[in-house]
Amino acid sequence: MVAIDVQEVSKRYGTLTALDRVSFSVEEGEIFGFLGPNGAGKSTMINIFLDFVRPTEGDVRIFGYDCQQDGKLARERMGVLPEGYAVYERLTGRQHIEFAIDSKGGDEEPMELLHRVGIADAADRKAGGYSKGMAQRLVLAMALVGEPDLLILDEPTTGLDPNGAREMRNIIREENERGATVFFSSHILEQVEAVCDRVGILNEGELVAIDTIAGLRESIGGGTKLSIQVDVVPDTALHSIRQLPGVETAWLAEDEDRIEVTCVDDAKMDVLVALHDAGVDVQNFRTDEASLEDMFAEYTGGGRE
Amino acid sequence: MNWQPVARKDYLEAIDSRVIRYLTYLFVIACLIGGYIFPVTTTGAVTTNRFAGFMTGAIGLLLPLVGLLLGYNAIVGERSSGRLNLLLSLPHNRRDVVVGKLLGRGLFLAAAVIVGLVGAAALVIYPFGSFGIGPAVDYMVYIGLTLLFGAIFFGIGLALSTVTASKQVATLSAFGVFFVFVVIWDVVEPAMIFALERVGLATGELPNWALFVYEAQPVRLYERIIAVFFEEQGTAAYLGTDTTWYLSEWVAIALFLLWVVVPLWVGYRRFNRGDL
Repeated sequence: MVAIDVQEVSKRYGTLTALDRVSFSVEEGEIFGFLGPNGAGKSTMINIFLDFVRPTEGDVRIFGYDCQQDGKLARERMGVLPEGYAVYERLTGRQHIEFAIDSKGGDEEPMELLHRVGIADAADRKAGGYSKGMAQRLVLAMALVGEPDLLILDEPTTGLDPNGAREMRNIIREENERGATVFFSSHILEQVEAVCDRVGILNEGELVAIDTIAGLRESIGGGTKLSIQVDVVPDTALHSIRQLPGVETAWLAEDEDRIEVTCVDDAKMDVLVALHDAGVDVQNFRTDEASLEDMFAEYTGGGRE
Repeated sequence: MNWQPVARKDYLEAIDSRVIRYLTYLFVIACLIGGYIFPVTTTGAVTTNRFAGFMTGAIGLLLPLVGLLLGYNAIVGERSSGRLNLLLSLPHNRRDVVVGKLLGRGLFLAAAVIVGLVGAAALVIYPFGSFGIGPAVDYMVYIGLTLLFGAIFFGIGLALSTVTASKQVATLSAFGVFFVFVVIWDVVEPAMIFALERVGLATGELPNWALFVYEAQPVRLYERIIAVFFEEQGTAAYLGTDTTWYLSEWVAIALFLLWVVVPLWVGYRRFNRGDL
């Protein structure tokens, strides 16, 4: 059974394309990581799930319900930690949970949920005085109300300290073991790598990769990362390297005086020769084993936080 | 529909808001002062019907103010802060949000009008006045009309609050509505006469169609309706005795009801269509 089914979704704001024909699906029971740098379109996608934003083309179904036509029915089965939310400063933590229970028709004990996310001692304080991390925990607790079949978490670890981030991962695992599907977005690879079954990588509105963590590792394979110190790099040089057999991809490192290339081991010399032919003065080079981190950087154009 | 949780939550928030409490008190106190002064200052009979006429000036000023202030920030405030994201992540749609606000906050407006006017009536009747079944029914209808009058401006405020994502735009347009409808409307009539005379469409007074436009504004409608049905109770025509049908008091009531529904409906439709 499919939990989330995204079909050819595009969203354009005037001439700006936030999402470009994105399609993927998430199976029930999966933990799916939605990865990409800030501004890649992750939140736009999640906002379409929640019907905050209407897609220009395409549609999204959650448990078979169209998010635009039957958004309320879809959200009855979801627990959400949205992006850019604020808590009700005049209501206490407990009142927030009671509101969520009231909305979703849950039968939980508010204090138990607050205890689970670690803010039970602030239950009767007004949420206006909560820190960012406490607000984040409170909204997570609201998301857990009613044992949702699908948890949607938009950058869930923002505002949490490392301890909080670990607790968040534990809750994600517990919820998944209970049977919930989890979809969460992040711009930080480690967050996703640690808990996800499958990962989709979004860059500039396009889905550039979708695979299991193991599958992604395999695709970079017994690969090698070449780091080549150069002075000036003409665009054509990068292009011609990418054309070489055995080369997966090549990109310019952030400081612009290094080319990074992922390729099979045998192709290393070919790369150096090709660079030489293109008139690039190779000053130095070293080889590393390629990591997921490199792959993420490569897919998302080298930009990393 | 799943608006009840939203209305309950909005009520809890509103009761904690000092501004909303003070606006409610302000209106109640104004009514009580009116109820105290009327029997002392009036030269005619002390009846609740005449009291209704006596109060239109104050209510025509205060209730638009209270209604607009209650409404204009209700949704745009939640939207610009991000609380709307939290709310709509739960199984609610945008209609629940509008209905919840309408009831959760409207309750305060309704309580202010009912408590204020019932209290005022008691003050009017107690020392000198008279009160029977007939006037009691009239007075309830009067409270009902005043509730609708408050609902018009609360609805306009709420509508302004739904059509924009900017708090500044909502604030300015609410102020604009108050300024035009309440503060300067009296000047609009001579201005219209002047303009129409210039183009040769009027001589000295407004032609019927222009009078219709001038009188079709909620504060004017409320004042005229109260005057015709309560103050002079059937003895005076709405706008002269032999005017065209569209200047009759019944058309005025229909327009009055349209004002309750239309702005809010238009605002809701816009709100429901776009991205947040």
